[in-house]
Amino acid sequence: MSQQKRAAPKAASETQLVARAQQGEEEAFAALFEMHKRRVYSLCLRMTGNTAEAEDLTQEAFLQLFRKISTFRGESAFSTWLHRLAVNVVLMHLRKKGLQQISLDEVDSSQDEPVKRDYGDNDRRLMGSVDRISLSQAIADLPPGYRTVFVLHDIEGYEHNEIAEIMNCSVGNSKSQLHKARMKLRDWLRQNEGLMTSGEPVISDQAPSER
Amino acid sequence: MNETGHGRTAACYRFEQELQAYMEGEDAAFVPAHARECAFCRVIVEDLEALRAAALALPLEEPSPLVWSFVRAQLLDDGTFAERANFGAWFRQLGWLHRPLPVATFACLVVLGCLLTVPRNYPKPGNTSPISTLPARSAIRSMAFMRDSATLVQVVRELEATFRAREGSLAPDLKATYENSLISLDASIRECSDSLEREPDNSLAHEYLLAAYSQKAEVLSSALEFDEGR
Amino acid sequence: MADCREQITKKRRAIPYGQGLVLYLLVLSGSLVAADNSRVEKTFETSPNPRVTVANARGQILVRGWDKAQVHAVYSVVSSHVEVDTEVIPSNGPADKIHFATHLLDPLLSGRDQTADYSLDVPMGTNLEIRNTQGSVRIEKLQADDTTVESVGGAILVSDFTGHLFLRSVGGNIDVIRPSGRVEAYSITGDLHFVSPTTSKLRGSTTSGRILFEGDFSDGGDYSLSEYSGDMEILCPPSASFELFAKTDRGKLQNEMPMTIRRQAASPMSSANSLFGTHLTGKATVNLRSFSGTIRIRQR
Repeated sequence: MSQQKRAAPKAASETQLVARAQQGEEEAFAALFEMHKRRVYSLCLRMTGNTAEAEDLTQEAFLQLFRKISTFRGESAFSTWLHRLAVNVVLMHLRKKGLQQISLDEVDSSQDEPVKRDYGDNDRRLMGSVDRISLSQAIADLPPGYRTVFVLHDIEGYEHNEIAEIMNCSVGNSKSQLHKARMKLRDWLRQNEGLMTSGEPVISDQAPSER
Repeated sequence: MNETGHGRTAACYRFEQELQAYMEGEDAAFVPAHARECAFCRVIVEDLEALRAAALALPLEEPSPLVWSFVRAQLLDDGTFAERANFGAWFRQLGWLHRPLPVATFACLVVLGCLLTVPRNYPKPGNTSPISTLPARSAIRSMAFMRDSATLVQVVRELEATFRAREGSLAPDLKATYENSLISLDASIRECSDSLEREPDNSLAHEYLLAAYSQKAEVLSSALEFDEGR
Repeated sequence: MADCREQITKKRRAIPYGQGLVLYLLVLSGSLVAADNSRVEKTFETSPNPRVTVANARGQILVRGWDKAQVHAVYSVVSSHVEVDTEVIPSNGPADKIHFATHLLDPLLSGRDQTADYSLDVPMGTNLEIRNTQGSVRIEKLQADDTTVESVGGAILVSDFTGHLFLRSVGGNIDVIRPSGRVEAYSITGDLHFVSPTTSKLRGSTTSGRILFEGDFSDGGDYSLSEYSGDMEILCPPSASFELFAKTDRGKLQNEMPMTIRRQAASPMSSANSLFGTHLTGKATVNLRSFSGTIRIRQR
């Protein structure tokens, strides 16, 4: 109940801010930036895996948004509009860099790597090990196409039909790439749990260690 | 045992085939049923579910304050903002400036805005000399140091020149504090630049270099406030 | 002052006349000096969660939280060429905002003559904004949504604070003792010292100062400490449960805590030293960065 109450004033104030920004009020631009900067930057960072690029792209997304703000008519939520714009900015950037996005070929299951089952012979669960830093690093290490789909679907909450439209591919492709991305992440996280062959955690030396 | 080990059965193959559909929420009742019987397959499902939960829980990241500085400067240059009647009232209303950005950074924005509204010569990316004229829009587009650091470096240079011209008016102890901080920041700039020359992909050096320049801009702006009698 | 006069009268009975005269002249001059240290005391009724700001050049600022819906301010200046302006908003009724600002009436005034000392008792929930250029700031036992303290050369000391704390100095040291909530502390050459925080989020950064963190990590807490060339020392109890990500480019990493080491993915930073691991169940996240300083993680 309290969250709904908080959400309603926020939506109303965002509408007011947009209206004021459309009149050229600088404080309104600043407030809109402050309201959305983290979400946009996080999206850019996770899709590029690079801080400097992410800040550049955040800048670019907000500049495009603010330059077009007079055309916003409220058909969708402002945040949705901004978010979609940010995604397009990032994808354009990745395309310019020549990084492969989703393959337009249909899914070929015969090329799939076998699912690794080595981790199932003990009681170790990935659950306790999926920490934020590991996961962020793992995502950054994904191939760009996998990373894009994973970020858009599992982090940003886009549906496959939306991803397909954004990425200009089929829904089946999007689903397949997502599954492969998750499996790759799983493998990365498992492999980077350390030298665990016996199922016991490796403890560093008690004496001070210097690297 | 095959290369993936642990006795994969026909049921396990079917499990793997249907796992994607199950994770998409589609009708794949075989997957959970098999997972109840097969420990190895159960771990796979649990891993993927844990991963999905962790992805949802990832926190939002905070960009550098300079992102807004550049956005604002560009919008100023575009003439996007309407004229304001009262400078003081506008500043006081900027509640977000009170905490995250000190007044010093605001002074830096003003300087940056002034620099960008007057034609300037910016070094072209990749050129060290002579400088040539570039449109301000392209000059401030990128904050990535290896591509175009000219604008931030230029701002810092201008601020430092102004500071040096006026530092005599500062109280000795205040001047000493600022001098020590600038010495410290200059040392970090030199070292990080050296590191990047040897290792262009050193992201830690890159981050520290950017931070050092932006901190230097803030420190110089802060020092200049005192000279202006604030 | 009355006590002072009485003590002097008693002494005069026991002291010969000549010495008494000298003493009298000394007291007189002392009184004149004391008269120049004008002291003002004011009390303001406030609404809930007022905002109090102080802008000062030199002198000490002390702020304490109390349980009254009032701001009680005591300030004193050394020179008659220094004035303290007080602005209360609204002007009638309980104050939502109170601004204290020290003004130098003589632009040639320098050094100690610029001094204005403040002592404020403020209600719990007060949001503070303090700028004290070359003077120290001390905040004790306060709960607030938002508190900002900025200084150039003055030291900042905050103890037993609950809420969001933002501290920044150029050269002053920053000490934060037993904070709760969120803490951000930044300096260029000053040292940072954190003691027993129970914070959900803690950020600290200094360029050439040192960082000392003493205490445990809260479950789910996010701790990020960064220095350029200074040394960083983390002293935590054996029961501390955290995931550690420590990285330095040219400095050293020294760890005494038994950890589950995770193998690092290939990093483009080939010269970097890094340590990535978990102590116990890894309930908090600790991110330590240095460029050329030493990072030490020790057991308390």
